[in-house]
Amino acid sequence: MVGGGQLLLSLLTGLADAAGLFFVASGLTVIFGVTRVVNFAHGSLTMLGAYCGWSLISRLPPTPLGFALGTLATMVLLAVIGAGLEIGLLRRVYRAPELFQLLATFGVVLMTQDIVQWLWGVEDLALRRPPWLRAFVRLGGARFPRFDLIVIALFPLVFLLLWLVFTRTRWGRLVRAATEDREMVAALGVDQRLLFTSVFALGAALAGLGGVLMLPDASANLGMDLTTVTDAFVVVVVGGLGSLPGAAAASLLIGLLQAFGIMLVPRATLALVFVVMAVVLVLRPNGLLGRPPGRGGVLGEVRALVRPAPHVLRWLGLAALILAALAPLLLGPYALAVGTEMLIAMLFAASLHFMMGPGGMVSFGHAAWFGIGAYASAFAVHLLAAPMPVGLLLAPLAAGLIAALFGAFVVRLSGVYLAMLTLAFAQITWAIAFQWVDLTGGDNGILGVWPARLVAGPRGFYWLALTLAVAGTLGLRAVLAAPFGYTLRGGRDSRVRAEAIGLPVTAIQLTAFALSAAAAGLAGGLYAYAKGSVFPTYISLGHSVDALLMVLLGGVATMSGPILGALAYTGLYDVLLSATSLWRLALGAAIIVLVLAAPEGIAGGALKLWQRRRPA
Amino acid sequence: MTAAALLTVADLASFYGRAQILHGIGFTCAAGEVVVLLGRNGAGKSTTMKSLIGLVRPAQGRVTFAGADITGAEPHRIARLGLGYVPEERRVFAGLTVAENLDIGRQAPRPGLAPWTPARLYALFPNLAAARDRAAGQMSGGEQQMLAIARTLMGNPRLVLLDEPSEGLSPLIVEQMAEAILALKAEGVGIVLAEQNLHFAERLGDRAVVIEKGAAVWAGSLAALAADDAARQRFLAVGVET
Amino acid sequence: MTRGGPEAPVLAVAGLAKAFGGVAAVAEVSFAVARGEMLALIGPNGAGKSTCFNILSGQIRPDRGAVYLNGESVTGLSSRAIWRRGVGRTFQITATFASMTVRENVQMALISHHRRVWRFLRPARHYFAAEADALLAPVGMQDQAERAAGELAYGDLKRLELAIALANAPRLLLMDEPTAGMAPAERGGLMALTRRLASERAIAVLFTEHDMDVVFGVADRILVLDRGRLIAAGSGAEIRANPEVRAVYLGSGATSGGH
Repeated sequence: MVGGGQLLLSLLTGLADAAGLFFVASGLTVIFGVTRVVNFAHGSLTMLGAYCGWSLISRLPPTPLGFALGTLATMVLLAVIGAGLEIGLLRRVYRAPELFQLLATFGVVLMTQDIVQWLWGVEDLALRRPPWLRAFVRLGGARFPRFDLIVIALFPLVFLLLWLVFTRTRWGRLVRAATEDREMVAALGVDQRLLFTSVFALGAALAGLGGVLMLPDASANLGMDLTTVTDAFVVVVVGGLGSLPGAAAASLLIGLLQAFGIMLVPRATLALVFVVMAVVLVLRPNGLLGRPPGRGGVLGEVRALVRPAPHVLRWLGLAALILAALAPLLLGPYALAVGTEMLIAMLFAASLHFMMGPGGMVSFGHAAWFGIGAYASAFAVHLLAAPMPVGLLLAPLAAGLIAALFGAFVVRLSGVYLAMLTLAFAQITWAIAFQWVDLTGGDNGILGVWPARLVAGPRGFYWLALTLAVAGTLGLRAVLAAPFGYTLRGGRDSRVRAEAIGLPVTAIQLTAFALSAAAAGLAGGLYAYAKGSVFPTYISLGHSVDALLMVLLGGVATMSGPILGALAYTGLYDVLLSATSLWRLALGAAIIVLVLAAPEGIAGGALKLWQRRRPA
Repeated sequence: MTAAALLTVADLASFYGRAQILHGIGFTCAAGEVVVLLGRNGAGKSTTMKSLIGLVRPAQGRVTFAGADITGAEPHRIARLGLGYVPEERRVFAGLTVAENLDIGRQAPRPGLAPWTPARLYALFPNLAAARDRAAGQMSGGEQQMLAIARTLMGNPRLVLLDEPSEGLSPLIVEQMAEAILALKAEGVGIVLAEQNLHFAERLGDRAVVIEKGAAVWAGSLAALAADDAARQRFLAVGVET
Repeated sequence: MTRGGPEAPVLAVAGLAKAFGGVAAVAEVSFAVARGEMLALIGPNGAGKSTCFNILSGQIRPDRGAVYLNGESVTGLSSRAIWRRGVGRTFQITATFASMTVRENVQMALISHHRRVWRFLRPARHYFAAEADALLAPVGMQDQAERAAGELAYGDLKRLELAIALANAPRLLLMDEPTAGMAPAERGGLMALTRRLASERAIAVLFTEHDMDVVFGVADRILVLDRGRLIAAGSGAEIRANPEVRAVYLGSGATSGGH
C-alpha cells in the first residue's frame, strides 16, 4: 500500500514537474498566440537556457544569490537570442504558409544542435551543487529537495505576473489584440514588429528560465531540445493554443498525472502523457481552455488550382522511370541501396502528402504508420514464420486497419490539434515498441527480417522496391484525380459547401486517412526487409519530421512535389552526412535558405517558373 | 481639386500577388468632406483603401496625406499621421471588451482637433456605452460596426477611410450610422467612404468617384451624378429595372 | 408523416422553435412557400433568420416544430439528407471549392447527386462534364468554366453558387443574403436570373436580404422576423405600411430605399 508520506511526495514531485512544464509551455503558447508560428525551436531555446545557465552559474559564487543572478542573466541572454531569431529569421517568414514557418524553425533546431555541441561538447553538463542546493526538507517522514519547493513556489508567481502583464498593461492588451488580428493592430497605429519581437523575447526568456531550473535536478544535455518541445507542445495543445491559463491548467494536469502514474502503472509512463492528450482532444477538440481558431486556418492554407500534369511532365516522368528501371545494370550495390531507400522515402512522402495536401490533415506523427508496417512485417517473419509476400501484405493491412480505428478520432479535429493528436498516437506507438521488450525487443529491435531469396540481392530488392513504390505512388495519384480524391479536396477547400451538396466528408476523410496509413505501412514493410531489422527509431518524432520535410521541400500544392522532395531530401541528407561532421548545421541552413528562397517548395517553384515563361 | 486637400491620391496602382488590381486611381479629399467611392464588388474599392493605409503596398503612384508622402509607408506610420481605417469586415478584437478595444485604438491628441475620449464616443454611439465591459465578439453586427468606427476615432484621425459601413446592417441601424458619420463630418474630419448602398451614399456624400476594373472612370459631385443619367446607367446600371 | 396531395406547398414550417442557452432564437414560426414563389425573410440582425435557415437546411435541430418538404416531414434530418430531397443552398459568404475549376465545382455537385463519390480510378473531370456545362450556360458562366473558382470575381462566384445549387434539380432554393457585397446593378441581375430560373423550373425560393430595393422589387411575399417571432407577413405594400416593422427594422427608409 502507498503511505500518506508517499502520496505527499508524489504530489510535490508532480507540482515541481508541472512548474517546469509551465515555464517552457507558457513561452511557447504566448509566442504562438501572437505570431501564429508553431515554434519547433522552443525546445532548442530551453536547451540553450540550460547550457548558458550552466556556464553563467558555474562562474558565479555558489550561493542562492549567485544562482538567482545567473538565472536572471540567462533569461536576459535568451531574450536577446530570441529577439535575434525573430528579427533574423521569423520576421521574414510570417507571410509564408504556416507549415513553412514550422519548417524554418525546424531548421533552427538542427543548427542549434550542432552549435551547442560545438560550443559545449557532447558530455552532459551537471551543475556543481553547493549544500543549499542539495538540501532536503522532511515532510511526514519523507525527504523532499528544498530546491523543488522553490520551483513550486515560482509557478503561481510567474503565472500571476504574466496574467497581470497581459490584462493590466497596455502592452498586454496590444499583445492580446495582435493575437486576434495583427494587421488591424498595425492599421490602428501600433508598430507590430516591435510587438512581435518583444513577445518572442519574452517567450524565449521563459524558455530560458525553464532550462536553468532543470539544471539542479538533471543536467544540460543534447537530447533535451526535442523531449522538451514535445512535452511543451502537449501542454499547449491540451490547454488550448494561445491560452495562458490553459497552459497552467494543462501543466498541472500532466505533471500530477505523471507523478502518480509512475506509482500506478510504471511500465506505461511514456505513453501516459499522450493518452491524456488524446483523451482531452477527443472530449474538447480545442483543448481545455482554447477557443476555436478564428480568421483563417491554423495549419495548411493551400488553395492553388490543381491541374492534370502537362504532357512534358508525363514524358519526363516516363523517362525517369525507364532510367530508374535500368539503374541496376549501371550502378554498384551501395548506390542501389541508396536508391532503394530513396524509393521507399518517395512512397512514404507521397502517403503523407495524400492526407496533408489534398486531405488538409497535417500529421506530425506519420512515422507511426511506417513503423506499424515495419513491425507487422517483422512479426510476420518471427511469429508466423510467414514468407515475404505475406509480410508485405500484412504491413499496409495492419497500418490501414489501425488507422481506420484511430482515424475516427482524428477526423473530428483540424489544424494543429489534429497534427498533435497524430503525434500523440505516434509517441504511444513508439512507447509500446520501446517498452514492450518481450514482444518488440525494445531498443534492440527485431533482427533477421530478410527478404525472399528471389529478391535477396541488392538488384532484386531494388526492382521490388521500384515496382511497389512506383505502383503505390501512382496509385495514390490516380485516387486523388478520381471523384474520391476530389471529394477529399472539396472537404478541405470548403467543408460547408461539401456538406451542402451532400458529400460525405467525414467518411471520405477517414478512408483517406486509412489509405494514407496503408501506403506508409507498405513503405515501412519494404524498409524492414531492406534493412533486415526493425527498431523503435522508425517511429521516432525525427522520422515523422523527415516525412514532413520531404513533402514541404517538394511543395504541398503540386502532385509531383512529394516525389521530388523525397529524392532531394534523401540525396541532400546522404551528401551532407558523408561530407561534413556538422551535417545538421548544413542541413538546417539549407532548409532555412530554401524556405526563404522558395516558399512553394521545389515543385511549386518550378511550376511558377514554368508558368512565367508561358503567356497566361 | 481643392487647394486644401488633406489626402491626394494620384495614379495609384496595386497588385495582389501577380494580379494587378488597381490601374491608376486618383482623387482628393479635404477636411470635413465626404468622398464616396462607388463601383461593383471587386472593382477595387477595398484594395484602394488598403493601399492608402499601407496594408497593400502600391506598385506605382503617389499618396500624400497632411503634407507628407505616405506612398508605400508602413501601416502604423500612416495611422500615426492621422489616417484612420475601418475595414469592411469590421475586425473588432472579439476576445477583448469594448473598453479594451477602444484602448487599442488610442493615440495622442492631435493639434486642432477636439480629442476623442471613450465618454464622447459612448455619447455618439449610445449602444456601446451599455456594453463597455462585454466582449466585442458577443455583440451584434451593427454594434460591432459602431465599435470599429469608435476604435478608429480613438486615434484622433484627421481623415477616416470607411469601407462599406452599411454592409449587412438593417435599415434602422444604417440610419443611425449615417447620423454618426454626419456628426464626424461636422467635426471637420475628412471621410472617404466605399459604398454599394446608393441611398446611403447620396445621403452623406459631397463628391463621388466611380471605380471600374481598378481605375477611376468618373468623378464629380453626387448632385452631378444624380443628374447624369448616362453616367448612372453606364457605371452603376441604376434605373435599369429588371 | 405525410400531408401530401397535389396542392401541398413545397415547404411548410409549423411551430418552429429553437433556443440557445435559454434565449429563444426562433419562437413558434410557421409559414409555407409554394412552387415558383419567391419569399423574402427579413428582420434586424439577430432576429433569428440564420437560425431559421440553418434549421431548414439541416445544420441545426429545432427544439420544437416541424418542417415539411412536399408534404414529407424532414424535421431533424442531416443537411446531406435534406439536400438529397431537393433543397439547394447558397451562402451569405460564398463557399466554393477554390482549388477546382468552375466546371469541376459543378461536376462535384453532379457526382454527389448521381452517387458517384466512391470512385477511385477514372479521373473526376470525365464525369458529367457536359451536364455541368449545361448548368453553367443559364447562369452565364460557361465562358469561365476553365477558370479556378478561387480567382473569380464576387458576382461570378454568386452565379457559380447558383449553378451548383441547381445541380440536384432542386424543388426549394435557400438563399442567405444572395446580393450581399454586390453592386446595385449586379443585384438586380442576379435576382432577375433567380426569378427566371425559379419560374422556368418551378422552384420555390426562400431568401434573406437586407437590400430593400431587392426585397420589394423581387419578392412575391415578405415575412418579418423580430427577436425570433414572426411579426408580419404580406405583400411589399403591406409590409412597408406596417408600423411595427417600421419601428424595429425599416426606419424612415431614407438610407435604404424603403420608399
